[in-house]
Amino acid sequence: MALPKRIIKETERLVAEPVPGIQAVPHEDNLRYFDVAIHGPTQSPYEGGVFKLELFLPEDYPMTPPKIRFLTKIYHPNIDRLANWSPALQIRTILLSIQALLGAPNPDDPLANDVAQRWKEDEPGAIATAREWTKTHATP
Amino acid sequence: MAPSRSSRNSLQSVDLRALDYLASPSANLLCPICHSPLITPVQTRCLHTFCSACISLSLERSLTCPVDRKDLSHDDVTPAPIMIANLVNDLVVLCPNREKGCEASCARWLVESHVREDCGYAMVKCAKEGCDGMVARKDVDEDCVHEAVECEFCEFAVRKLDLESHLRECPKLSSECPHCAEPFLNPELSIHIADCPAEIIDCPASHFGCPYTCPRSEVDNHTGSCHFIALTPILQLHTERITTLELENKTIRQKLELLIPPRPLPTPSSSSSNPQDSSTNTGSSSTTRDMTSEMQDYTYHLYSEYEQLRSDVERLNAQIRELDVKQDMARINEGLRYNDEMTGMRAAINGLRMQLHWLVASRRDAPTPNSGGAGGAANRVGAGSSTNDGRRMSDSARQIVKL
Repeated sequence: MALPKRIIKETERLVAEPVPGIQAVPHEDNLRYFDVAIHGPTQSPYEGGVFKLELFLPEDYPMTPPKIRFLTKIYHPNIDRLANWSPALQIRTILLSIQALLGAPNPDDPLANDVAQRWKEDEPGAIATAREWTKTHATP
Repeated sequence: MAPSRSSRNSLQSVDLRALDYLASPSANLLCPICHSPLITPVQTRCLHTFCSACISLSLERSLTCPVDRKDLSHDDVTPAPIMIANLVNDLVVLCPNREKGCEASCARWLVESHVREDCGYAMVKCAKEGCDGMVARKDVDEDCVHEAVECEFCEFAVRKLDLESHLRECPKLSSECPHCAEPFLNPELSIHIADCPAEIIDCPASHFGCPYTCPRSEVDNHTGSCHFIALTPILQLHTERITTLELENKTIRQKLELLIPPRPLPTPSSSSSNPQDSSTNTGSSSTTRDMTSEMQDYTYHLYSEYEQLRSDVERLNAQIRELDVKQDMARINEGLRYNDEMTGMRAAINGLRMQLHWLVASRRDAPTPNSGGAGGAANRVGAGSSTNDGRRMSDSARQIVKL
């Protein structure tokens, strides 16, 4: 099936006007599959890290959300949660949300329960672990 | 006859979303879902506009407005004002057969009829009776290209349409190798070309800068003596490191750009403040030289600005000191003047005090006002001076004191 115009437009815009700190490059053989690199926001435990993600646009995108998976190990209570999808959102908004989430972890809406628990009970410790993981796994 | 025949068309409908527009349309006319100019625009109760098909698809999954997430049902969606529909239908689009060669462009509402009836590059049914093939409308009056013909070399049956491409790769035909000029049968040619010994190839280390080229058969003689090949491992390592560093540099630059607003360009006067430096770095490559000289210009600009500020501060300091001295002088002068004045006043007060003393003393010695005249007269008489005049004089003096 031909690639919908919307995906072509979004891809062109992502390449022409990249979001600062976010790189998204489509695979040459499958334009629905993106290699994404997000730089950890400054003044967060993820600062200095570069987090690799894979992003896949399903057949019925934008009616269904893109599928996103972290390839770099990351210590975070709510990573890759994509609730509240709306077809008016787009790849760049979703990547921006992920970047924002790195800057402000929310242990009340957890995906990784053990991480959220630790984040609530011992926040400095959790932040230290996140920083350590960033250093070990996400520093280029 | 011709129009009725050519109006038969397999492309019954044009995919309006795939069209390219002559000018990029206003963002206000784009559907928030498909990001194309609206197609059959509809409006929601919350006054957002979508393509009819897009919002229907979205409502099948979630009964909310995709833009503001307010609750929404199919009944809340009504056709958008006709003006909006007219605006998007009048946008000029390029013919969808542009890649095949059609250069036409027309308003979007006309594009379907253009493809159905006019476009010479649209595929229509072949004119030959009994043929089910499709042919571009401009070629419809030519002979049917779907008939099978026999290849004169391999006796393989191919359609006329495909004959040309078949002849290029017919297995019974041979072509010349472009390098050694020897003929090879088509199926074997590509295998031969891949390692034709006569082909002039670059040194395996050409990407590191070796300019040597030679026929493939002689390349082994060269690799033994090539310095670049000997250096390949270390060059490879360096290339990798440079790539990593470039990436890192890019990230850092991005971060810097976020942190520091773009700096003003150095003014021409400041760049000429240190002329001898622009001539010092001539050996490096032009880009780095540009960057360094720009950096230096900027540094000199800053330096001269700093110097200017320092001299300003010194000048101000001197002025303040001068003012201080002036003020001191003025104060001393003023003080002296006040001193003089005070001395004068003191003298005047002393004079007054003397007069007062004299008056008080003279009054204490004198009798009461009623008998005073007689007493005074007696005194004066006693003193032996002229009688009447003296008394009157003392009387008038007493009155002045009273006043």
